[in-house]
Amino acid sequence: MRVSILMIAVYAVSALTALLALYYTAKDLAADFVLLGACALVLLVWLLETGALALRDLGGGTVGDPVTLYGYLLTGAVLPIAGIWLGVGERTRWGSAAILAVAVTMLVLQLRLPQIWAGGFA
Amino acid sequence: MSGPLRASTAPSPRRQRGFATLLVIVYGIFAISATARASVQIIERFGTAPVAYALSLVAALTYIAATVLLARRGGDSRAALWLCSAELLGVLAVGVLTVLDPALFPDATVWSRFGAGYGYVPLVLPVVAIAYLLRRRRAARPAATPAAGDRL
Repeated sequence: MRVSILMIAVYAVSALTALLALYYTAKDLAADFVLLGACALVLLVWLLETGALALRDLGGGTVGDPVTLYGYLLTGAVLPIAGIWLGVGERTRWGSAAILAVAVTMLVLQLRLPQIWAGGFA
Repeated sequence: MSGPLRASTAPSPRRQRGFATLLVIVYGIFAISATARASVQIIERFGTAPVAYALSLVAALTYIAATVLLARRGGDSRAALWLCSAELLGVLAVGVLTVLDPALFPDATVWSRFGAGYGYVPLVLPVVAIAYLLRRRRAARPAATPAAGDRL
């Protein structure tokens, strides 16, 4: 699959999750299966993108700074898991707020990825 | 016999951290990013900017400690208050130094220019954390006094 499509998917799913989490936080709602599912979807799309980038790297791509690239990819995989963990454990609006922080950070991580390895998204 | 037994086997209510949950995740994110950044900088090129990279490491350790303290003790940690105060001093000191003497920092740290590279979150975060921790302490104090009086 084209990496750029997955990049757009990460942006879209993360932004929607952020908006949803913002709504839950504002309405004083704890995270339910909808919000937790959205967070899980962010993880899934991120992992697909990670797989596509890794395949491109293995298939002869030249990554300028592989440590930073894979560090970012690993961080992006850990954050939604942490968000789900806190969302499940904290049954107040602040569990939803934690997912909001994760979703916004995922947007920033995605923003940085093409700067780290432009060739991966060409 | 059955009373204490039931009490001990009853599921303990899960501890809710409230607002501290948000602090835990944001501190956690900075703990990860600052640790990763400091590790790469120190392993790959410590000699080029030792002061900046040593401060990156200090920032990373501060974030790790704050995350652990807030996660384990929520808003009631006195140590977290001290740590966040030290963190605020660090951000302000490094911020002033990077503005006054940029030559001291050939490469950026998390706290360079008051955390501008991270949307100034490193500057806002300890202020919010300190305000929250102080509010918790103030709220806990009047509640504790009548309880202590009741026991007499």
